[in-house]
Amino acid sequence: MDALTSLFAGFETALSPLNLLWALIGVTLGTLVGVLPGIGPALTVALLLPVTAKLPPVSAFIMFAGIYYGGMFGGSTTSILLNTPGESSSIITALEGNKMARRGRAAAALATAAIGSFIAGTIGTVLLTFFAPAIADIAVQIPPSAKFALIMLAFVTISATFGGSPLRGLVSLFFGLAIGLVGTDLQSGQSRFALGRPELLDGIDFITVVIGLFAIGETLYVASRYRKSQDVIKLEGGAAMNREDWRRSWKPWLRGTALGFPFGAIPAGGAEIPTFLSYTLEKKLSKHPEEFGKGAIEGVAGPEAANNASAAGVLVPLLTLGLPTSATAAILLAAFQQYGLQPGPLLFITNGDLVWGLIASLYIGNVMLLLLNLPLAPVWARLLLIPRPFLYAGILVFSTVGVYSLNNSVFDLVLLAIFGLIGYGMRRFDFPVTPAIIGVVLGPTAESFFRTAMQQSNGDASIFVRQPLTAFILLIVLVALVLPPILRMRARKTVAA
Amino acid sequence: MTEPHLSSPPQRRGVSLPDLLVALGILLLGAGLLYGTSQIPFGINAVVGPRVFPLIVSIGTLLFGALLLVGALRGDRAEPGAEEDTDPDAPVSLANPAIILGGFLLGTLVLQPLGFVLGTAIMYFSVAYAFGERRYGLMAFVALVVALVTYLLFTRGLDLNLPAGILRGIL
Repeated sequence: MDALTSLFAGFETALSPLNLLWALIGVTLGTLVGVLPGIGPALTVALLLPVTAKLPPVSAFIMFAGIYYGGMFGGSTTSILLNTPGESSSIITALEGNKMARRGRAAAALATAAIGSFIAGTIGTVLLTFFAPAIADIAVQIPPSAKFALIMLAFVTISATFGGSPLRGLVSLFFGLAIGLVGTDLQSGQSRFALGRPELLDGIDFITVVIGLFAIGETLYVASRYRKSQDVIKLEGGAAMNREDWRRSWKPWLRGTALGFPFGAIPAGGAEIPTFLSYTLEKKLSKHPEEFGKGAIEGVAGPEAANNASAAGVLVPLLTLGLPTSATAAILLAAFQQYGLQPGPLLFITNGDLVWGLIASLYIGNVMLLLLNLPLAPVWARLLLIPRPFLYAGILVFSTVGVYSLNNSVFDLVLLAIFGLIGYGMRRFDFPVTPAIIGVVLGPTAESFFRTAMQQSNGDASIFVRQPLTAFILLIVLVALVLPPILRMRARKTVAA
Repeated sequence: MTEPHLSSPPQRRGVSLPDLLVALGILLLGAGLLYGTSQIPFGINAVVGPRVFPLIVSIGTLLFGALLLVGALRGDRAEPGAEEDTDPDAPVSLANPAIILGGFLLGTLVLQPLGFVLGTAIMYFSVAYAFGERRYGLMAFVALVVALVTYLLFTRGLDLNLPAGILRGIL
């Protein structure tokens, strides 16, 4: 029971009064920012990065754990009380939860989401506790060529397999890869695409790209087609459920967790699929299928649990392989890199106290979220009433501070404006943002594994087909790239026939 | 539940100029990347030099740009995304994003000479204006308060270095 010993050590770190305080601040700030419309979990973490800049790494990651789950939770509050979803994994919550809220059952919808998130998050963290070290043990032995293949798998599943349009996802991915190329090549010392600007020799800061594409892009886009009337549902009293709600919720919570965790843990493009699957499953199993689409509590409980379990699952490939499978995880990876840490199997050995402190704080953060959110739901709900002109203006000012404080450079703010404009274009022309983010973060890593593999084989490219694990993963990559378009074409023919 | 993109067949209503320009823009980006790649000096003694990955990225960008172009010429058009606070049926205004961007660049320009507080206050004001707020006195007041509180929070509380500008000595 190695994992248990390490976990206890992690709890010792996380339970120190100061670190508990950081966890509480993280959970509160994460929920607070996550509730704000227009800010999803990924942007929540990115905007709060400068807040942790001066903290020692262990405290910073304990705070991140709180921000991560808090941001997720805040998002579901917004979806239930406001009638449009902010991100794809909240579509279902918005659909079913908002209908419930409209029927005067907002308190129950918020409660089933909060308790479901707590249960899913806790079970997910338990699974993470036991799976992660085991996977890290195996991952140490994976050769560079297979790591390269794994990154290719993440690229293809995130951009092409599960998105709306594979082509648009791939364009977005390659845009991100191109941004990742800018700067000095670490192996040869040659500058690439620096356009003669000394500021670009160190590369473009990832945080600038994220905040530009998400925050500034979103602000510009919302301003271009702004909905003047807001439709926020008022909430009286805290979030609470009656016996009947409990009876109808507990099975969907567990089933949602079972669906969400594995989908998060494999590189399959985030929480969208398990939330859809969970909704379909609950509709099939329910004794009240007629309520679905009109505000069925099972339709909130299951998908919300799936969403949160998948958020815990995402941490498995992130911590053990250094492989982010969602935009939020990519930002966590960048946060690790800012502290000079490279997530991966070795992290458990070299920085065990940090990793286990982080995992322990996930448990603590979950408890805090539940205690905080049931009674405080009305307070969060009030945040939705902030007049939009003042809210979006505030988001822009915070984005500016976040980016400017990276290097104290006005040049970075000009870059921020450029990425904001590109982010606007991506929303207008239906290009998903996540593949670009993943491309920026993982592109340089992919290149370095590719080169290491080629050096080890003395320039023989057949290493990628001769090494069995590599060849197997690359085969899956090929299937993931080719199969969906074929299935789509066949489906279209059947419809036409 | 059906995923929106899977079921809806591509709409064919003639060639859409914006979509065409986007495809051309991606092709242009690919061409620029290819040119930039040719400008990278060869590394010495490396099995895989610094040019290989940029070359792959350039070719990929050109290929996908070409596929987008073919699609656009066949009449594909992108559906604008649905976000919180947006109304798909609202009249589209390009002036509002332009005001935000202009205010942002103006604020950036004065950030160092006039200071962080005034620079971000200009940004705040322009966003609020673009979102339709017209109570100018209130906007100016909130803008200055938000900028000042942010400044104090980050410089005093978090020990970050932000330009004081003309308020140096007062703050």
